[in-house]
Parts: sequence; structure tokens; C-alpha cells
Amino acid sequence: MTFSPLFLFPNPGNFFAMIDPNYAHPDALVTTDWVAAHLQDPEIRLVESNEDILLYGTGHIPGAVHIDWRADLQDQTMRDYISPEAFAALCSKNGITRNTTVIFYGDKANWWACYALWAFRLFGHDKVKIMDGGRDKWISEGRELTRQTPQYPATEYPVPARRCDDEIRAFYEDTLRQSQNRLPLIDVRSPGEFKGEVTHMPEYPQEGVLRGGHVPGAKSFPWKRAVNDDATFKSAADLKAIYENEAGLKPDDETIVYCRIGERSSHTWFVLTYLLGHKHVRNYDGSWTEWGNRVRAPIERGE
Amino acid sequence: MYPPKLSEIIALFESLSDAEKREMLISYADGAKNHAPREGEVFDLEDVRKDEECTDTVGIFLKVGEGLASHYRVTLGPHVQTLTRAMTSILCKGLEGLTPQEVLDVPADFVPRIVGADLVRQRSQTVYYILTRMKSAAKVWLNRERARAAGGDPLPPSQPSCPG
Repeated sequence: MTFSPLFLFPNPGNFFAMIDPNYAHPDALVTTDWVAAHLQDPEIRLVESNEDILLYGTGHIPGAVHIDWRADLQDQTMRDYISPEAFAALCSKNGITRNTTVIFYGDKANWWACYALWAFRLFGHDKVKIMDGGRDKWISEGRELTRQTPQYPATEYPVPARRCDDEIRAFYEDTLRQSQNRLPLIDVRSPGEFKGEVTHMPEYPQEGVLRGGHVPGAKSFPWKRAVNDDATFKSAADLKAIYENEAGLKPDDETIVYCRIGERSSHTWFVLTYLLGHKHVRNYDGSWTEWGNRVRAPIERGE
Repeated sequence: MYPPKLSEIIALFESLSDAEKREMLISYADGAKNHAPREGEVFDLEDVRKDEECTDTVGIFLKVGEGLASHYRVTLGPHVQTLTRAMTSILCKGLEGLTPQEVLDVPADFVPRIVGADLVRQRSQTVYYILTRMKSAAKVWLNRERARAAGGDPLPPSQPSCPG
């Protein structure tokens, strides 16, 4: 077996950290080794995105900036994402140019990193990658953290002409049509949420969903199936076995993924889009907090 | 309205900008480990559990001493969120020495004044969790004392919800 030297890096541990070259887009992932070797690289910008809102302040990878999924990426009044103008301002503030390769990492096995990456793609910023294993892996390897917040000169980031909602984002009506036409619909929440036994994921508070269950026709493939114990992504062969053989998804399918608020499904969206190369995957970010509250939205319960 | 030690902490936070508030919260979070039980300490009540909604285990240890002054110690699992760690330090300091009834009587509306309205809005349940658990322990202790005074069996601990 041979590996591309581009994706193979020596690890301080016993093994070689590597990105599976059989992923459809292996360059969408970087290892912690790679990041450690590129901390001074002016072509990249490290972005930490977490669920724990104060975690970045307790220590982060040197040079990394913090982008919060809620405060920075979402509109603060309407349930929607920020405008193209606000996105350009966010990038400018963080020293990101149109040509910067943005490398996302974070807590929770990179849920919010994938969410932020997906949001960047909404604005057409395609030079994006995930640090495999996220924040926990970096820390578990004993790598450097700092509390020093970096300051970068503001950039002239051009305001994107539009937000690409129609390409990688699904809305309620899209998901309803998908359900009615029995097209691929993947529910990535926990089995209990899918069955309608609970309306929040285990270990999380009840967050105001009035009905439990799933979108009719959806298949249950919890996000966690895509990762190893150390939060790195499973191999291409393993992912194909799960999503193509077991779930029956095909690379050209029009697929919609959803969860509760769109963060776990961003993770699966990343897996399907970048690691398996599926071309038409959309994330329904309204997810169950919209569907489960919507008057007369059809719901299935049970397996 | 609030206990004196808690009032001091509230006044401190209210004097800070949002950015300074976050730095102060992280500083308090760093200090949470100092409020863990120390070797040899004995408690009147120990409530260690991982609630279903919690990201990790939280242990509340309560000792009620002379004059019914209560002293809290708290253990936090490694996955407990930073804001919860910060509230642990703040509450262990701010409620130190109150009677269990006084702990129960502390209104929860001081929390936004400490962490700021934005963080409360974004992480509303997290910020109240430790206070809820401390009050729960105080209530259990009071119920036990009342049951003991009445010659009956102590009541079982209550099970408050927890966002961790």
C-alpha cells in the first residue's frame, strides 16, 4: 500500500497520522501534524468553532481565531444566517482573504467546525478544510495551546454576490417534497430522537420542540457512526459501507440531511460531500426544531 | 437583596465590559478546581450524579456547620462546559456561609447581571445549572432535618434537571 506524501506526516506517537487517500477529496482534511507544521503559514487561517462558548478563551491553537456559530454566523434577529455584507466583514476582521485556506477545528468531534465550514460554503468560500480529530485530538497529543488572541490586519474581502442557499441548504418545503417523493433523507440524530422517545439529544436540555419523531421516509444514521473514538473520521471504506451500502445513498443522489438545529447534520453533510464525493447533498438547518414545531408537518414515530 | 459576597461579585461583573466579563468568567472557571472536596473533609450531603441532559458528572457536597452556615464543594467532570465551571466558582464563593434556607431564597435573577444577557440568551440552561443543584442540595438537607425533627425517615434526594 502506498500513501501520497501530501497526506502523510510523522506523528510523535507510535504511528503515522494520515488522511485516507481514498476519500473523494482527501485534501478537505488536514492532520494535527500538518497544522502544527503550518502555524506560521500566511496562506491559511485556523478557525476554532465550539459548542462551549468560552472554550476558545481557555486556550486555543496558536494563531487560531474564534468564530462562534451563533454570535458570528447567525442573524441575531431572524432565524437565518448573516448577510453577505456581514460575512465579508467577519472575514475581513479575522484577516481572511478570498484566497485564504480556512482550516476549521473545534470541540464535540468537529460538529461546529463542520457547521462553520458549511456556512462559509454558503458564501462561496470554497478553500476550506477540517482538522481531523478536532480540538480534543490536538490537546490529547499534548500540543501547544495559547490564550493569546491573535490580531490580523483587516483584509479587503469582497462582498459575495449572493448566499448559495439553493445549492447546499434545504428548507422546510424542500424537505417536505423530499419526504413526499421518498427521496434520500437522512436523520443523523440519536436513535431516541428519531423514534420520538425524546426531543433532545442525550446529555442536552429540552429545547422547546413540541413533537417528537422524524420526517416521514427518513432513515436513521446517527452522525457518530462516521467517527472513530478519537473523533477522527472513519476510513473511506467504512464510510462507504455505512452510507452507500447500508443507507443506499448514491453519489449522484439528491440527498437532504437534518438533525435538531443543523450542526450534527453539517458533520454528515461534510462526510457525504467531501469524504464520499456525493455531489448534491443539502443540509436542512431548520431541522427538527422547525419540523417538530410546525403546524401540520407530517411526522412518523418509531423505528 | 443578595447575600453580601454574591453582591460583591455581581458589582464586579457589572463594572466590566462584555469582553472583560468573558475573561473574568474564564478566570473563575480556572478556579473551579479549588472548590473540589479536600482530603479528610466530611459532608452532610453528597449528591454526585450525571443527569441525562448533562454533558458530564457533577458532584455537589454540602456541609452545614455552626450557626447553620453551609459550605459547598463541587466536583466537575472533564466535559463540563466552561460557563458551568465559572458559575461553580462564583456560587461557591458567593453563597459561602449562608444557611440552607438562605441559599433557597437567593433569587436567580442575578445570573444575567454576572454573565451578561447575551450569554444567558445563548446558553440559558447552562448558566443556571449549578445554582439549581446547590439549591436542590439545600432543600434535601432541610427536608432531612425536618423529617429528623418529626421523627420520620429522611426524604430521598430530588432529581433536578441538568444541562451541564
